[in-house]
Amino acid sequence: MDDHLFHRRVVSGDESALGELYDRFSALLYGLALKVTRDRVAAEDITQEVFATFWERPLGFDPSRGSLRTFLATVAHRRSVDHVRSEERRRVGALAPRLFERPHDLEEGVVAADEVERVREAVVGLPESLRQVIELAYYGGRTYREVAVEIGVPEGTAKSRIRLALRRLAETLNEEAP
Amino acid sequence: MSLDRLYLDLLDEAPVAPPPGGRARLLATAAARRRPAADCVSWARPYAGRVAAMDAVFASATAWDVEIVEGWHLQELLGHLTAKDGLVAAAVGAPVHGPPITDDEAMARTAALHAHERSRSLLETRRSWRDQADALCHALAGADPARVITAGGLRLPVGDQILGRALETWIHTHDTAVSEGLNLPRPTAAELRPMADLCARLLPMTALLSGLDAGDRSVRLTLTGDGGGDWHIPLLPTKRAAGYEGQEVALSIRADAAEYCFVLGGRGAGHEWEAEGDPALAADLRAAAPVLSGP
Repeated sequence: MDDHLFHRRVVSGDESALGELYDRFSALLYGLALKVTRDRVAAEDITQEVFATFWERPLGFDPSRGSLRTFLATVAHRRSVDHVRSEERRRVGALAPRLFERPHDLEEGVVAADEVERVREAVVGLPESLRQVIELAYYGGRTYREVAVEIGVPEGTAKSRIRLALRRLAETLNEEAP
Repeated sequence: MSLDRLYLDLLDEAPVAPPPGGRARLLATAAARRRPAADCVSWARPYAGRVAAMDAVFASATAWDVEIVEGWHLQELLGHLTAKDGLVAAAVGAPVHGPPITDDEAMARTAALHAHERSRSLLETRRSWRDQADALCHALAGADPARVITAGGLRLPVGDQILGRALETWIHTHDTAVSEGLNLPRPTAAELRPMADLCARLLPMTALLSGLDAGDRSVRLTLTGDGGGDWHIPLLPTKRAAGYEGQEVALSIRADAAEYCFVLGGRGAGHEWEAEGDPALAADLRAAAPVLSGP
Protein backbone atom coordinates (compact mmCIF):
# COMPACT_ATOMS: atom_id res chain seq x y z
CA MET A 1 0.00 0.00 0.00
CA ASP A 2 1.38 3.40 -0.82
CA ASP A 3 2.02 6.33 1.52
CA HIS A 4 -0.93 8.33 0.20
CA LEU A 5 -3.39 5.58 1.08
CA PHE A 6 -1.87 5.02 4.54
CA HIS A 7 -2.06 8.75 5.16
CA ARG A 8 -5.70 8.97 4.04
CA ARG A 9 -6.66 6.01 6.23
CA VAL A 10 -4.97 7.50 9.29
CA VAL A 11 -6.60 10.91 8.68
CA SER A 12 -9.96 9.07 8.41
CA GLY A 13 -9.39 7.60 11.87
CA ASP A 14 -8.74 4.02 10.70
CA GLU A 15 -6.94 2.35 13.64
CA SER A 16 -6.04 -0.71 11.61
CA ALA A 17 -3.89 1.51 9.37
CA LEU A 18 -1.90 2.60 12.45
CA GLY A 19 -1.46 -1.05 13.46
CA GLU A 20 -0.17 -1.89 9.97
CA LEU A 21 2.26 1.04 10.10
CA TYR A 22 3.54 -0.22 13.45
CA ASP A 23 4.09 -3.69 11.99
CA ARG A 24 5.93 -2.18 9.05
CA PHE A 25 8.13 0.47 10.65
CA SER A 26 8.48 -0.22 14.40
CA ALA A 27 11.69 -2.27 14.02
CA LEU A 28 13.24 0.47 11.90
CA LEU A 29 12.36 3.19 14.42
CA TYR A 30 13.23 1.13 17.48
CA GLY A 31 16.57 0.05 15.98
CA LEU A 32 17.35 3.63 15.08
CA ALA A 33 16.40 5.01 18.49
CA LEU A 34 18.33 2.21 20.23
CA LYS A 35 21.43 2.97 18.22
CA VAL A 36 21.37 6.64 19.12
CA THR A 37 20.23 6.41 22.76
CA ARG A 38 21.71 3.00 23.72
CA ASP A 39 18.78 2.79 26.12
CA ARG A 40 16.02 0.21 25.57
CA VAL A 41 13.41 1.99 27.66
CA ALA A 42 14.04 5.33 25.97
CA ALA A 43 14.06 3.71 22.52
CA GLU A 44 10.72 2.04 23.18
CA ASP A 45 9.19 5.30 24.46
CA ILE A 46 10.48 7.19 21.43
CA THR A 47 9.07 4.56 19.04
CA GLN A 48 5.66 4.77 20.72
CA GLU A 49 5.69 8.55 20.76
CA VAL A 50 6.56 8.90 17.08
CA PHE A 51 3.62 6.72 16.02
CA ALA A 52 1.20 8.27 18.53
CA THR A 53 2.07 11.79 17.39
CA PHE A 54 1.62 10.82 13.77
CA TRP A 55 -1.81 9.42 14.63
CA GLU A 56 -2.82 12.50 16.62
CA ARG A 57 -1.63 15.04 14.04
CA PRO A 58 -1.36 13.23 10.72
CA LEU A 59 -1.45 16.51 8.79
CA GLY A 60 2.07 17.17 10.03
CA PHE A 61 3.08 14.78 7.26
CA ASP A 62 2.73 15.83 3.64
CA PRO A 63 3.17 12.91 1.22
CA SER A 64 4.09 15.26 -1.61
CA ARG A 65 7.26 16.22 0.28
CA GLY A 66 8.76 12.81 0.99
CA SER A 67 8.10 9.23 2.01
CA LEU A 68 6.36 8.25 5.22
CA ARG A 69 9.30 6.01 6.09
CA THR A 70 11.75 8.91 5.93
CA PHE A 71 9.34 11.19 7.80
CA LEU A 72 8.86 8.76 10.70
CA ALA A 73 12.55 7.88 10.84
CA THR A 74 13.56 11.55 10.80
CA VAL A 75 11.22 12.35 13.70
CA ALA A 76 12.50 9.29 15.62
CA HIS A 77 16.07 10.36 14.99
CA ARG A 78 15.44 13.92 16.19
CA ARG A 79 13.72 12.72 19.32
CA SER A 80 16.56 10.29 20.00
CA VAL A 81 19.16 13.04 19.64
CA ASP A 82 17.06 15.28 21.92
CA HIS A 83 16.93 12.50 24.48
CA VAL A 84 20.70 12.00 24.42
CA ARG A 85 21.32 15.74 24.72
CA SER A 86 18.97 16.19 27.64
CA GLU A 87 20.59 13.21 29.37
CA GLU A 88 23.99 14.81 28.77
CA ARG A 89 22.77 18.12 30.11
CA ARG A 90 21.39 16.38 33.16
CA ARG A 91 24.67 14.56 33.87
CA VAL A 92 26.91 17.53 33.14
CA GLY A 93 24.51 19.81 34.97
CA ALA A 94 24.89 17.81 38.19
CA LEU A 95 28.66 18.18 38.12
CA ALA A 96 29.18 21.67 36.82
CA PRO A 97 25.94 23.60 36.60
CA ARG A 98 27.34 26.82 35.18
CA LEU A 99 30.25 25.69 33.09
CA PHE A 100 28.31 23.93 30.36
CA GLU A 101 25.07 25.83 30.38
CA ARG A 102 23.29 25.83 27.04
CA PRO A 103 20.22 27.61 25.77
CA HIS A 104 17.17 25.81 27.12
CA ASP A 105 15.09 25.38 24.05
CA LEU A 106 17.30 24.67 21.12
CA GLU A 107 15.21 25.21 18.03
CA GLU A 108 14.76 22.06 15.96
CA GLY A 109 16.32 23.89 13.06
CA VAL A 110 19.44 24.59 15.10
CA VAL A 111 19.76 20.95 16.05
CA ALA A 112 19.27 19.94 12.45
CA ALA A 113 21.84 22.47 11.26
CA ASP A 114 24.30 21.09 13.79
CA GLU A 115 23.74 17.56 12.48
CA VAL A 116 24.09 18.70 8.91
CA GLU A 117 27.42 20.29 9.81
CA ARG A 118 28.68 17.10 11.44
CA VAL A 119 27.75 15.04 8.40
CA ARG A 120 29.35 17.55 6.08
CA GLU A 121 32.62 17.46 8.02
CA ALA A 122 32.60 13.67 7.96
CA VAL A 123 32.01 13.69 4.19
CA VAL A 124 34.90 16.10 3.67
CA GLY A 125 37.13 13.73 5.63
CA LEU A 126 36.51 10.81 3.23
CA PRO A 127 39.09 9.72 0.65
CA GLU A 128 38.52 11.40 -2.72
CA SER A 129 37.01 8.36 -4.53
CA LEU A 130 34.46 7.83 -1.77
CA ARG A 131 33.68 11.49 -1.28
CA GLN A 132 32.89 11.83 -4.97
CA VAL A 133 30.20 9.13 -4.97
CA ILE A 134 28.59 10.41 -1.77
CA GLU A 135 28.45 13.96 -3.08
CA LEU A 136 26.86 12.82 -6.33
CA ALA A 137 24.37 10.45 -4.69
CA TYR A 138 23.24 12.54 -1.77
CA TYR A 139 24.05 16.17 -2.38
CA GLY A 140 23.48 15.83 -6.13
CA GLY A 141 20.45 13.54 -5.77
CA ARG A 142 21.75 10.99 -8.35
CA THR A 143 20.74 7.35 -8.41
CA TYR A 144 23.37 4.58 -8.17
CA ARG A 145 23.09 4.07 -11.92
CA GLU A 146 23.57 7.77 -12.70
CA VAL A 147 26.59 7.90 -10.39
CA ALA A 148 28.12 4.93 -12.24
CA VAL A 149 27.61 6.58 -15.65
CA GLU A 150 28.93 9.93 -14.45
CA ILE A 151 32.22 8.65 -13.06
CA GLY A 152 32.59 5.93 -15.68
CA VAL A 153 32.61 2.80 -13.50
CA PRO A 154 30.38 -0.30 -13.52
CA GLU A 155 27.16 -0.02 -11.53
CA GLY A 156 28.35 -2.64 -9.03
CA THR A 157 31.49 -0.62 -8.33
CA ALA A 158 29.46 2.56 -7.72
CA LYS A 159 27.21 0.66 -5.34
CA SER A 160 30.04 -0.87 -3.35
CA ARG A 161 31.86 2.47 -3.14
CA ILE A 162 28.73 4.13 -1.80
CA ARG A 163 28.27 1.33 0.70
CA LEU A 164 31.92 1.58 1.81
CA ALA A 165 31.61 5.37 2.11
CA LEU A 166 28.46 5.02 4.23
CA ARG A 167 30.22 2.57 6.53
CA ARG A 168 33.14 4.97 6.97
CA LEU A 169 30.76 7.85 7.65
CA ALA A 170 28.83 5.80 10.19
CA GLU A 171 32.09 4.96 12.00
CA THR A 172 33.20 8.59 12.06
CA LEU A 173 29.84 9.87 13.26
CA ASN A 174 29.50 7.15 15.89
CA GLU A 175 32.96 8.02 17.27
CA GLU A 176 31.82 11.59 17.70
CA ALA A 177 28.38 10.70 18.96
CA PRO A 178 27.81 10.07 22.65
CA MET B 1 16.00 16.07 1.95
CA SER B 2 19.13 14.46 0.49
CA LEU B 3 20.97 15.07 3.75
CA ASP B 4 18.14 13.51 5.71
CA ARG B 5 18.33 10.53 3.40
CA LEU B 6 22.07 10.21 3.95
CA TYR B 7 21.70 10.43 7.69
CA LEU B 8 18.97 7.82 7.72
CA ASP B 9 20.94 5.50 5.49
CA LEU B 10 23.77 5.76 7.99
CA LEU B 11 21.50 4.75 10.82
CA ASP B 12 19.27 2.31 8.98
CA GLU B 13 21.54 -0.69 9.23
CA ALA B 14 19.98 -2.74 11.95
CA PRO B 15 16.24 -2.85 12.45
CA VAL B 16 15.56 -4.29 15.90
CA ALA B 17 12.19 -5.75 16.88
CA PRO B 18 10.79 -3.71 19.78
CA PRO B 19 9.69 -5.56 22.94
CA PRO B 20 6.35 -7.39 22.61
CA GLY B 21 3.11 -5.61 23.53
CA GLY B 22 4.08 -2.36 21.82
CA ARG B 23 1.37 -2.55 19.18
CA ALA B 24 -1.49 -2.92 21.68
CA ARG B 25 0.01 -0.19 23.89
CA LEU B 26 0.26 2.13 20.88
CA LEU B 27 -3.36 1.58 19.83
CA ALA B 28 -4.56 2.37 23.36
CA THR B 29 -2.43 5.53 23.59
CA ALA B 30 -3.44 6.66 20.10
CA ALA B 31 -7.17 6.26 20.77
CA ALA B 32 -6.82 8.46 23.86
CA ARG B 33 -4.98 11.15 21.88
CA ARG B 34 -7.45 11.28 18.97
CA ARG B 35 -10.59 9.18 18.82
CA PRO B 36 -10.64 6.66 15.97
CA ALA B 37 -13.59 6.79 13.56
CA ALA B 38 -16.79 5.62 15.29
CA ASP B 39 -17.57 1.96 14.85
CA CYS B 40 -20.69 1.96 12.66
CA VAL B 41 -22.67 0.33 9.84
CA SER B 42 -20.86 0.29 6.48
CA TRP B 43 -23.10 2.89 4.79
CA ALA B 44 -22.30 5.43 7.54
CA ARG B 45 -18.51 4.96 7.32
CA PRO B 46 -17.92 7.92 4.98
CA TYR B 47 -19.49 10.13 7.66
CA ALA B 48 -17.52 8.55 10.55
CA GLY B 49 -14.33 8.95 8.49
CA ARG B 50 -14.94 12.63 7.69
CA VAL B 51 -15.69 13.33 11.36
CA ALA B 52 -12.35 11.73 12.32
CA ALA B 53 -10.64 13.81 9.61
CA MET B 54 -12.15 17.03 11.00
CA ASP B 55 -10.80 16.01 14.40
CA ALA B 56 -7.35 15.50 12.83
CA VAL B 57 -7.42 18.99 11.32
CA PHE B 58 -8.51 20.36 14.68
CA ALA B 59 -5.52 18.65 16.33
CA SER B 60 -3.16 20.64 14.11
CA ALA B 61 -5.16 23.88 14.14
CA THR B 62 -3.61 26.87 15.88
CA ALA B 63 -5.54 29.92 14.64
CA TRP B 64 -8.60 29.43 16.81
CA ASP B 65 -9.91 32.99 16.47
CA VAL B 66 -9.58 33.36 12.73
CA GLU B 67 -12.74 33.49 10.61
CA ILE B 68 -12.84 30.33 8.51
CA VAL B 69 -16.11 30.56 6.55
CA GLU B 70 -19.46 32.38 6.86
CA GLY B 71 -17.77 34.73 9.33
CA TRP B 72 -17.40 31.82 11.78
CA HIS B 73 -14.26 30.89 13.69
CA LEU B 74 -13.50 27.30 14.62
CA GLN B 75 -15.80 27.09 17.66
CA GLU B 76 -18.74 28.52 15.68
CA LEU B 77 -18.03 26.20 12.77
CA LEU B 78 -18.09 23.20 15.13
CA GLY B 79 -21.32 24.58 16.63
CA HIS B 80 -22.83 24.69 13.15
CA LEU B 81 -21.81 21.09 12.41
CA THR B 82 -23.18 19.98 15.80
CA ALA B 83 -26.44 21.80 15.03
CA LYS B 84 -27.00 20.07 11.69
CA ASP B 85 -25.82 16.67 12.95
CA GLY B 86 -28.27 17.12 15.84
CA LEU B 87 -31.22 17.71 13.48
CA VAL B 88 -30.46 14.43 11.70
CA ALA B 89 -29.92 12.72 15.07
CA ALA B 90 -33.36 13.89 16.23
CA ALA B 91 -34.95 12.62 13.01
CA VAL B 92 -33.49 9.13 13.45
CA GLY B 93 -34.18 9.01 17.20
CA ALA B 94 -30.53 9.36 18.32
CA PRO B 95 -29.51 11.40 21.40
CA VAL B 96 -29.30 15.15 20.73
CA HIS B 97 -26.56 17.19 22.41
CA GLY B 98 -27.03 20.78 23.50
CA PRO B 99 -30.28 22.60 24.27
CA PRO B 100 -33.59 20.99 23.17
CA ILE B 101 -34.47 21.53 19.49
CA THR B 102 -37.19 24.16 19.13
CA ASP B 103 -37.05 24.63 15.37
CA ASP B 104 -36.08 22.00 12.76
CA GLU B 105 -34.17 24.56 10.71
CA ALA B 106 -30.42 24.70 10.18
CA MET B 107 -29.68 28.37 10.86
CA ALA B 108 -32.04 28.66 13.85
CA ARG B 109 -30.44 25.55 15.36
CA THR B 110 -26.97 26.92 14.56
CA ALA B 111 -27.81 30.16 16.41
CA ALA B 112 -29.04 28.13 19.41
CA LEU B 113 -25.81 26.10 19.46
CA HIS B 114 -23.68 29.23 19.10
CA ALA B 115 -25.43 30.76 22.11
CA HIS B 116 -24.97 27.51 24.05
CA GLU B 117 -21.26 27.09 23.22
CA ARG B 118 -20.21 30.72 23.65
CA SER B 119 -19.51 30.38 27.38
CA ARG B 120 -17.69 27.06 26.94
CA SER B 121 -14.09 26.41 25.94
CA LEU B 122 -13.19 25.40 22.41
CA LEU B 123 -12.07 22.00 23.69
CA GLU B 124 -15.46 21.47 25.34
CA THR B 125 -17.17 22.40 22.07
CA ARG B 126 -14.91 19.98 20.22
CA ARG B 127 -15.91 17.19 22.62
CA SER B 128 -19.65 17.97 22.28
CA TRP B 129 -19.41 18.03 18.49
CA ARG B 130 -17.57 14.73 18.45
CA ASP B 131 -19.95 13.16 21.00
CA GLN B 132 -22.93 14.21 18.87
CA ALA B 133 -21.39 12.82 15.69
CA ASP B 134 -20.40 9.53 17.33
CA ALA B 135 -23.84 9.18 18.99
CA LEU B 136 -25.44 9.61 15.56
CA CYS B 137 -23.12 6.95 14.07
CA HIS B 138 -23.88 4.46 16.84
CA ALA B 139 -27.65 5.04 16.61
CA LEU B 140 -27.64 3.99 12.95
CA ALA B 141 -26.85 0.35 13.84
CA GLY B 142 -30.43 -0.82 13.36
CA ALA B 143 -31.64 1.91 11.00
CA ASP B 144 -33.01 1.33 7.51
CA PRO B 145 -30.97 3.56 5.14
CA ALA B 146 -33.89 3.69 2.69
CA ARG B 147 -36.40 5.13 5.19
CA VAL B 148 -37.27 8.70 4.18
CA ILE B 149 -36.97 11.30 6.94
CA THR B 150 -37.10 15.09 7.14
CA ALA B 151 -34.22 16.88 8.83
CA GLY B 152 -33.57 20.60 8.60
CA GLY B 153 -36.34 20.87 6.00
CA LEU B 154 -34.65 18.36 3.70
CA ARG B 155 -36.64 15.21 2.86
CA LEU B 156 -34.29 12.35 1.95
CA PRO B 157 -33.65 8.70 2.83
CA VAL B 158 -31.60 8.21 6.03
CA GLY B 159 -28.64 6.93 4.00
CA ASP B 160 -28.54 10.09 1.89
CA GLN B 161 -28.98 12.33 4.95
CA ILE B 162 -25.87 10.72 6.46
CA LEU B 163 -23.91 11.07 3.19
CA GLY B 164 -25.01 14.71 3.17
CA ARG B 165 -23.56 15.09 6.68
CA ALA B 166 -20.34 13.42 5.46
CA LEU B 167 -20.14 15.84 2.54
CA GLU B 168 -20.73 18.94 4.64
CA THR B 169 -18.25 17.80 7.30
CA TRP B 170 -15.68 17.19 4.55
CA ILE B 171 -16.25 20.61 3.01
CA HIS B 172 -15.90 22.44 6.32
CA THR B 173 -12.84 20.33 7.16
CA HIS B 174 -11.39 21.50 3.87
CA ASP B 175 -12.31 25.12 4.75
CA THR B 176 -10.49 24.75 8.09
CA ALA B 177 -7.44 23.09 6.52
CA VAL B 178 -7.16 25.88 3.92
CA SER B 179 -7.46 28.50 6.65
CA GLU B 180 -4.70 26.76 8.63
CA GLY B 181 -2.46 26.23 5.61
CA LEU B 182 -2.76 22.44 5.99
CA ASN B 183 -2.86 20.00 3.10
CA LEU B 184 -5.97 17.81 3.62
CA PRO B 185 -5.69 14.51 1.71
CA ARG B 186 -8.77 13.37 -0.22
CA PRO B 187 -10.96 10.72 1.44
CA THR B 188 -10.21 7.07 0.72
CA ALA B 189 -11.92 5.69 -2.39
CA ALA B 190 -14.30 3.67 -0.18
CA GLU B 191 -15.45 6.89 1.51
CA LEU B 192 -15.47 9.10 -1.55
CA ARG B 193 -17.40 6.79 -3.87
CA PRO B 194 -20.74 6.96 -1.94
CA MET B 195 -20.42 10.76 -1.57
CA ALA B 196 -19.71 11.09 -5.30
CA ASP B 197 -22.73 8.88 -5.99
CA LEU B 198 -24.93 11.15 -3.86
CA CYS B 199 -23.65 14.22 -5.73
CA ALA B 200 -24.28 12.49 -9.07
CA ARG B 201 -27.87 11.68 -8.05
CA LEU B 202 -28.42 15.25 -6.79
CA LEU B 203 -27.61 16.81 -10.18
CA PRO B 204 -31.26 16.78 -11.45
CA MET B 205 -32.41 18.32 -8.14
CA THR B 206 -29.93 21.20 -8.49
CA ALA B 207 -31.28 21.85 -12.00
CA LEU B 208 -34.87 21.75 -10.77
CA LEU B 209 -34.21 24.04 -7.81
CA SER B 210 -32.52 26.53 -10.15
CA GLY B 211 -35.63 26.63 -12.34
CA LEU B 212 -33.84 24.93 -15.20
CA ASP B 213 -36.21 23.04 -17.51
CA ALA B 214 -33.94 20.44 -19.04
CA GLY B 215 -36.79 18.37 -20.50
CA ASP B 216 -36.60 14.61 -20.92
CA ARG B 217 -32.90 14.53 -21.59
CA SER B 218 -30.07 12.76 -19.85
CA VAL B 219 -26.42 13.23 -19.03
CA ARG B 220 -23.47 10.91 -18.78
CA LEU B 221 -21.29 11.84 -15.82
CA THR B 222 -17.78 10.40 -15.66
CA LEU B 223 -15.96 11.06 -12.41
CA THR B 224 -12.24 10.34 -12.50
CA GLY B 225 -9.69 9.49 -9.82
CA ASP B 226 -10.11 7.31 -6.71
CA GLY B 227 -13.80 7.02 -5.79
CA GLY B 228 -14.96 7.91 -9.30
CA GLY B 229 -17.31 6.10 -11.67
CA ASP B 230 -19.64 6.47 -14.62
CA TRP B 231 -23.31 7.50 -14.26
CA HIS B 232 -26.33 7.83 -16.54
CA ILE B 233 -28.43 10.67 -15.13
CA PRO B 234 -31.93 11.44 -16.52
CA LEU B 235 -32.69 15.10 -15.81
CA LEU B 236 -36.40 14.47 -15.21
CA PRO B 237 -36.58 14.26 -11.41
CA THR B 238 -39.05 11.39 -11.65
CA LYS B 239 -36.40 9.14 -13.22
CA ARG B 240 -33.46 7.61 -11.37
CA ALA B 241 -29.73 7.85 -12.04
CA ALA B 242 -27.81 4.58 -12.43
CA GLY B 243 -24.57 3.25 -13.85
CA TYR B 244 -23.86 4.35 -17.43
CA GLU B 245 -24.45 1.53 -19.92
CA GLY B 246 -23.91 3.13 -23.31
CA GLN B 247 -27.18 5.11 -23.45
CA GLU B 248 -27.48 8.03 -25.83
CA VAL B 249 -27.19 11.32 -23.93
CA ALA B 250 -27.51 15.05 -24.63
CA LEU B 251 -24.32 15.80 -22.77
CA SER B 252 -21.23 14.06 -21.38
CA ILE B 253 -19.50 15.61 -18.39
CA ARG B 254 -16.08 14.62 -17.10
CA ALA B 255 -14.57 15.82 -13.84
CA ASP B 256 -12.37 14.67 -10.96
CA ALA B 257 -14.58 12.95 -8.34
CA ALA B 258 -13.45 15.09 -5.39
CA GLU B 259 -13.63 18.32 -7.41
CA TYR B 260 -17.13 17.48 -8.62
CA CYS B 261 -18.29 16.98 -5.02
CA PHE B 262 -16.73 20.32 -4.12
CA VAL B 263 -18.60 22.06 -6.96
CA LEU B 264 -21.91 20.79 -5.52
CA GLY B 265 -20.67 21.84 -2.08
CA GLY B 266 -20.14 25.40 -3.30
CA ARG B 267 -16.32 25.19 -3.29
CA GLY B 268 -15.84 24.76 -7.01
CA ALA B 269 -14.95 28.24 -8.21
CA GLY B 270 -12.31 27.69 -10.84
CA HIS B 271 -13.11 24.00 -11.39
CA GLU B 272 -14.45 23.60 -14.91
CA TRP B 273 -16.09 20.46 -16.22
CA GLU B 274 -14.99 18.94 -19.48
CA ALA B 275 -18.23 18.81 -21.48
CA GLU B 276 -19.11 17.15 -24.75
CA GLY B 277 -22.53 17.73 -26.32
CA ASP B 278 -25.02 20.54 -25.75
CA PRO B 279 -22.83 23.49 -24.56
CA ALA B 280 -25.81 25.55 -23.29
CA LEU B 281 -27.02 22.64 -21.12
CA ALA B 282 -23.48 22.16 -19.84
CA ALA B 283 -23.24 25.82 -18.79
CA ASP B 284 -26.69 25.77 -17.16
CA LEU B 285 -25.97 22.59 -15.16
CA ARG B 286 -22.60 23.91 -14.04
CA ALA B 287 -24.18 27.19 -12.89
CA ALA B 288 -27.00 25.35 -11.07
CA ALA B 289 -24.78 22.73 -9.38
CA PRO B 290 -23.92 24.63 -6.14
CA VAL B 291 -27.56 25.58 -5.42
CA LEU B 292 -27.91 23.05 -2.56
CA SER B 293 -24.78 24.29 -0.82
CA GLY B 294 -25.49 26.60 2.04
CA PRO B 295 -23.72 27.31 5.27
